[in-house]
Amino acid sequence: MSSKSHALSVSPGIPVATATGIPNGKLGMWVFLASEVMFFTGLIGAYIVLRLSHPSWPGPEHHLSVGIGTFNTLVLICSSTTIVLALAAAEHRSMKGVRLWLIATILLGLLFLGIKGWEYSAKFSHHIFPSTNVFWSCYYALTAFHALHVLGGIGFNLWVLGQTTTPALWVRHGHRLELAGLYWHFVDIVWIFLFPLLYLFS
Amino acid sequence: MKSAAVPSPKLYLIIWFWLAGLMLLGVLLSELPISKSAIVTIILLLSSIKAILVSLYYMHLKAGHRLLAVVLLAPLLLSGLAVALVLSSRLIRL
Repeated sequence: MSSKSHALSVSPGIPVATATGIPNGKLGMWVFLASEVMFFTGLIGAYIVLRLSHPSWPGPEHHLSVGIGTFNTLVLICSSTTIVLALAAAEHRSMKGVRLWLIATILLGLLFLGIKGWEYSAKFSHHIFPSTNVFWSCYYALTAFHALHVLGGIGFNLWVLGQTTTPALWVRHGHRLELAGLYWHFVDIVWIFLFPLLYLFS
Repeated sequence: MKSAAVPSPKLYLIIWFWLAGLMLLGVLLSELPISKSAIVTIILLLSSIKAILVSLYYMHLKAGHRLLAVVLLAPLLLSGLAVALVLSSRLIRL
């Protein structure tokens, strides 16, 4: 195992030698994220093609608040920072810090989903549905799939938080905090591109 | 396990500052009375910088194994090529 990959591993257990020098779980997560890149590029690419080829793009027509979208983006950026601070706390063997930053990440993720849900309900109350026009079908498809990923990330973070309850669990599964962090950052990066595409360019 | 290879919390907070600042800069730019194509180009550039910052420092690609960068770059290049091919007819018309 290379010194670099070993240095970045937060696994409290005995390091396992691999052919690549990268822990299998970590490499697996990166390959999974690579497939997710393809998935979201397909969705975003379809949106761009529709946007550029549509003769009269309908747009959100003032039904999307840039202020709310900006705040929600800030929430997700903050959550990316809190989960990496949880990783830093694990490196410093501070279980209290790991729990604190993981809980903060989970709460921020829930806040993001809560705001997104509130936005959805506001649209529904104005009778704006995916079938309304091509913009809204794209908006719901892109944001709903992203929200599902946020929900999955929250579940993963909750599971990792559960591993902090006893030292024995943490020794066996603590390294997965890094994997949860990688997934969460990916979800953040996707939103970094979705926010301007949907809120600022439409 | 404490390691010098992992950035410090202070660096993580500096990155947060840049991420939030670049995001707010993009929002402010979108309100300026300049051409839409310029706004789109600049904001997409800002988004790319933010994504690179997250990848390098939060996902530790900067200090990580190079194979991980290859795993990430391969689908990005393929996806970029696919989107460019799909959009090529429009670009040629322009």
